[in-house]
Amino acid sequence: MIQMAIVVEAVGLKKIYMLGKVLVEALRGVNLKVESGDFLAILGPSGSGKSTLLNMIGALDKPTAGKLFIEDVDVSTLNDNQLADLRRSIGFVFQFFNLIPRFTARENVELAMTITDMGKGERRKHAENLLETVGLKERIDHKPTELSGGEQQRVAIARALANNPRFLIMDEPTGNIDSKTASEIIDLVKRLNEERGVTTILVTHDSRVAEKAKRVVQMLDGLIVKEMAN
Amino acid sequence: MRTRDIFSYAFSAIKLRKLRASLTTMGVVIGIAAIVALLSLGQGFQNAIAAQFERGFATDTLVVSLRSLQGTQSSYQLFTNDTLTIEKIANVTLAVPVIQKTVYAKIENRTFLINVAGVDFAEYGSVFSSTFVAATGSIPSNPSNESIVVGARVHDPWQNGTTLANVGDSVEIIWTTVVNGFRRENITYTGQVDAVLDEVGGFSFGGPYDLGVYIPIAQAESFFETQETDLIIVKLKDSEETTIDDASQEIRNAFGGQVSVTSSTAVLGIISSVFTFVELFLAGIAGISLLVAGIGIMNIMIVSLMERTREIGILKALGMKSRTVLLIFLSEAVTIGLLGAVIGIGLGLGLAELVARFGFLALGLRNERADGGMGDTVNQGAVRGLSITPVLTPTVLFGAFVFGLLVSMVFALYPAWRASRLKPVDALRYE
Repeated sequence: MIQMAIVVEAVGLKKIYMLGKVLVEALRGVNLKVESGDFLAILGPSGSGKSTLLNMIGALDKPTAGKLFIEDVDVSTLNDNQLADLRRSIGFVFQFFNLIPRFTARENVELAMTITDMGKGERRKHAENLLETVGLKERIDHKPTELSGGEQQRVAIARALANNPRFLIMDEPTGNIDSKTASEIIDLVKRLNEERGVTTILVTHDSRVAEKAKRVVQMLDGLIVKEMAN
Repeated sequence: MRTRDIFSYAFSAIKLRKLRASLTTMGVVIGIAAIVALLSLGQGFQNAIAAQFERGFATDTLVVSLRSLQGTQSSYQLFTNDTLTIEKIANVTLAVPVIQKTVYAKIENRTFLINVAGVDFAEYGSVFSSTFVAATGSIPSNPSNESIVVGARVHDPWQNGTTLANVGDSVEIIWTTVVNGFRRENITYTGQVDAVLDEVGGFSFGGPYDLGVYIPIAQAESFFETQETDLIIVKLKDSEETTIDDASQEIRNAFGGQVSVTSSTAVLGIISSVFTFVELFLAGIAGISLLVAGIGIMNIMIVSLMERTREIGILKALGMKSRTVLLIFLSEAVTIGLLGAVIGIGLGLGLAELVARFGFLALGLRNERADGGMGDTVNQGAVRGLSITPVLTPTVLFGAFVFGLLVSMVFALYPAWRASRLKPVDALRYE
């Protein structure tokens, strides 16, 4: 078996936070490895800590204990600026799309590249290519309110791919769209993974979505309880 | 993120809330406009006063008068021949005594209460060479006792073309003497107008003025039966500060400190410093309105911060640095401040222009009207002869601009800092 490069590695990852006056142990020692080219689904009921884990992997939040390595870099040693730089190489897709409402589809995709200082002409062209890849060539100049949920999520995927990320992380990407569109979206993600080798980590509570991934880990009460390969 | 991209991002956020942004801008506009209007009007007023002084009173002159002690005149007296003492002092080229009395002047059956001044026409004319000048007739250098020179407003008191005291007309001077503090006696003489002076304008310190009547000093001495003088005008070699100071001091010493010596430069200095104080006071009040505008900016920035918390989360998830978030919020405020400053400067100048034209009516400084029947027009400027042109100095222009920007930036600093400090995970979860 060929040894693949490890993109993400969690070692004894713990996260404890206060929810009002209650101490919540969201992660209680998670060990996980994600290799380059993987398509991993994290499956679990709500409150199992899967979104918290995803936030750690996405460098949006810091662990209370344990270590998280992204391509051999210990995330807990990074300062605010370095974390921002790291996030530029991670593609985020959220349940509620999180597009900027005043911008068109193309402008939303361009925004990711504006942040990384790409020139205007280049980012415009790149944004158009990406939107074509996700099948939105005809909807380039539409604002989010003029797009369906599935279309908005495609824009979000195009935006996540804009800076050629090390991996994509998706937090319930199909949680807010109908099942038919959801399966189209997952097919798109699968295609990107297979054809372009885009490493993808996806969080869902829907086992039908998880079925399409190469690997599935099951979480319960802040721990990974089961791992299976499809 | 590139500067241009930061600004275009900030601008897209402002455009989204046009009404709110324009109301906030209005606050800045009002503050800046008030400051600019006040300061440029003030500068214009100062320029007008300075110009008047240069015309109305030569800068190389001093006025020697009796020192008043706590409002009462001292018993010390100046006499016309005291000029001899003054003329011995270094740098003094000429000393001209003035005998001033308040008299009734009967001109063509009308009687006016008026100030008459006895001066040596030739010497007085050489000190005030730009204002003691005849508009009509000529000022005799060796006048007869009956010779009279009148100011422009005596000749034309209503400024409507009805003139009195034309050259060649006779004027009866009536003076009420007070003898032993009891008995009053009217003495009179009739003179003849030899010249009408050019209009001097609003201010005149010791020099000729538009309501003055001038008679030869010899006539004044004999008619008023006195050699006491109220004023001695001293002409100096030049208007250097040291010349003025040294001569003033020596004159004071020569009279044992019993007289006061005033230079026109000093008077100008006092007036302008008083005016500067008033102006700064008003500008300070205007500045407060700008602070209020600043609080308005802070207010909408905080509202905007709340509304856009999720957006900030998205930006941070996309890898935007905290510093860039700070800059975006600051540049939104700067855009508002910049716009407000530019509009405010324009509006302030317009306002100053308007006040310069009409506003002084309200302030009670009378604007002269040409009584031409239909279609009365208000003269440009305010007090007759004192026309005010608002002046926007580069300092005020630059200062107003910078102040507007600074206020908007300072008040945006806190909201911008709070925006930049948001944690991405919290911001994304914000509803």
